[in-house]
Amino acid sequence: MKKQILDVCDLSVVRSGKVIIRDVCLTINEGEFVAIVGPNGGGKSTFLLAILGLLKTRSGTIEIYGHPPMSRKLHRKIGWVSQAASYLPKDVKITVRELVKLGTLHSGNMFDFLDSGRNEKVNQAIRMTGLEAVQNTPVARLSGGQRQRAVIARALATESDFILLDEPLVGIDPESRNSLLKLLDRLCHEQGKTILMVSHDLTAMSRSAHRIVFLEETIRFDGPTWSFPDMDKLADLRGIANVHGD
Amino acid sequence: MLDLTSPYLEWIGPMMPGEVFPYFFTMEMFQRALLAAMAVTIVSGFLGSFLLIRNLSLIGDGLAHVSFGGVAVGIVLGSTSPLWYALLFSTISSILIYEMQSREILTGDASIAIFLTGMLAFGLVLLRISGGGITLDVEGYLFGNLLLIDSADLDLIIMISLISLLTLVLIHSALLATTIDPLAAQIQGLPVRGIGQIFSVVTAMVVVSMVQVVGTLLVTALLVTPAATAQLIGRSFRSCLVLTQIFGFSSVILGLYLSAEMDTGTGSMIALVSAMIFAAVAISKMITSYTSAIRIHSLNEA
Repeated sequence: MKKQILDVCDLSVVRSGKVIIRDVCLTINEGEFVAIVGPNGGGKSTFLLAILGLLKTRSGTIEIYGHPPMSRKLHRKIGWVSQAASYLPKDVKITVRELVKLGTLHSGNMFDFLDSGRNEKVNQAIRMTGLEAVQNTPVARLSGGQRQRAVIARALATESDFILLDEPLVGIDPESRNSLLKLLDRLCHEQGKTILMVSHDLTAMSRSAHRIVFLEETIRFDGPTWSFPDMDKLADLRGIANVHGD
Repeated sequence: MLDLTSPYLEWIGPMMPGEVFPYFFTMEMFQRALLAAMAVTIVSGFLGSFLLIRNLSLIGDGLAHVSFGGVAVGIVLGSTSPLWYALLFSTISSILIYEMQSREILTGDASIAIFLTGMLAFGLVLLRISGGGITLDVEGYLFGNLLLIDSADLDLIIMISLISLLTLVLIHSALLATTIDPLAAQIQGLPVRGIGQIFSVVTAMVVVSMVQVVGTLLVTALLVTPAATAQLIGRSFRSCLVLTQIFGFSSVILGLYLSAEMDTGTGSMIALVSAMIFAAVAISKMITSYTSAIRIHSLNEA
């Protein structure tokens, strides 16, 4: 039986007096590639921030590797790829290699002057993401897809086995998007990483994830990608009636 | 510090150009000025590189004005070293500004602007009420006068510079991580808030040590301009750090030379040279970009 990585039970989150997430239950096992899809404002990013412990929850429990969010025991176990990747300040002259190296930091080594194997982790993360040719290029000069790869490389350098991605496909061209999805698939199958990705790109997700969760305040659908309902059934699940019906 | 370096400076002195500038290497009063300027340049270059990428270019200016309020309190209370008061006021203000920004009580530069104007006004009102007004000493704090630095001030400036530099070297990786992506840094287990607070205290300390070198009004010149110049041509963060030191030192040495030979204020001349170096680098970069664009265009047409 596969190890349970994430266990969320009856989670509700309220922001500015409005219920964003209601009674969400979700379990993710080791090696799964789970996509959370849903409309804008449906609570996808809120859900990620809540399970990371960065938002207060109204009710429910969250356990990652059996520990509550923000537990010290979770440091270096979670890799985070944020929307902010595409917002990296353009005037910041930081190279891909410098960015990836930041991923090797944690509370135990942040004052270390010695390399202590950090360079090897950086080399490995750069190799895995195929960024060898641009490793000394400033991140600001990269294409959108390469930037996302660089941020994923940073997450890989943490050596975490559970990687969370928040809308990494936003603002990148179709070719880069496909190559990014292939990379995630490879990380999942070859490296045994567990991936939880938030995206509003339903088409892309239905071709790459193992499992799709449709979140709109609460979970409307949770199942294997192949069983994801068609548009009519999805509309029913969301409680949308056919205006032009008979 | 002066005892240690004086023999070397005296040896270099005769090789320096100009009529007055060599005195910076041979006379004790000028030697103090030179050492203070050097110490402040090294640490402000390092700090400025981080301030720039944290979008805090104006905090140096803001804290410099806050420190003026502290200096005014020190002068009114009859202190022989009002910089200690400036240090206290700036440190408290810097932490408050950081907390207000990180807790999103006030966004952007609003908190800096409030502290800047409030404390400057406080200093001016206090000096007026006490009957002292803007004396030559006070003007030195506003516009900078290296020649006002006595042995106690030099010791304070060197001590602050050393502590600040050591702290920055120690936290520089974590500081960069928390600057680039605070959320990712927090998830990695880095103490984002603690690092931010330490950085605020170091910023306040460095700004205070700069007040007497370039003056309250011109702190930004040494804190931000060399770092901004470096960002124009640097290719990595590390190269920007090195280039910042080169531009900072060039500004200080050239500024001291010109102010000595032309009999102008040291602070204002250093600031002017710093801005001119920025302009020269920016213009040459624009020309280079323009000519390479023309070359590519003509190659495409051919």
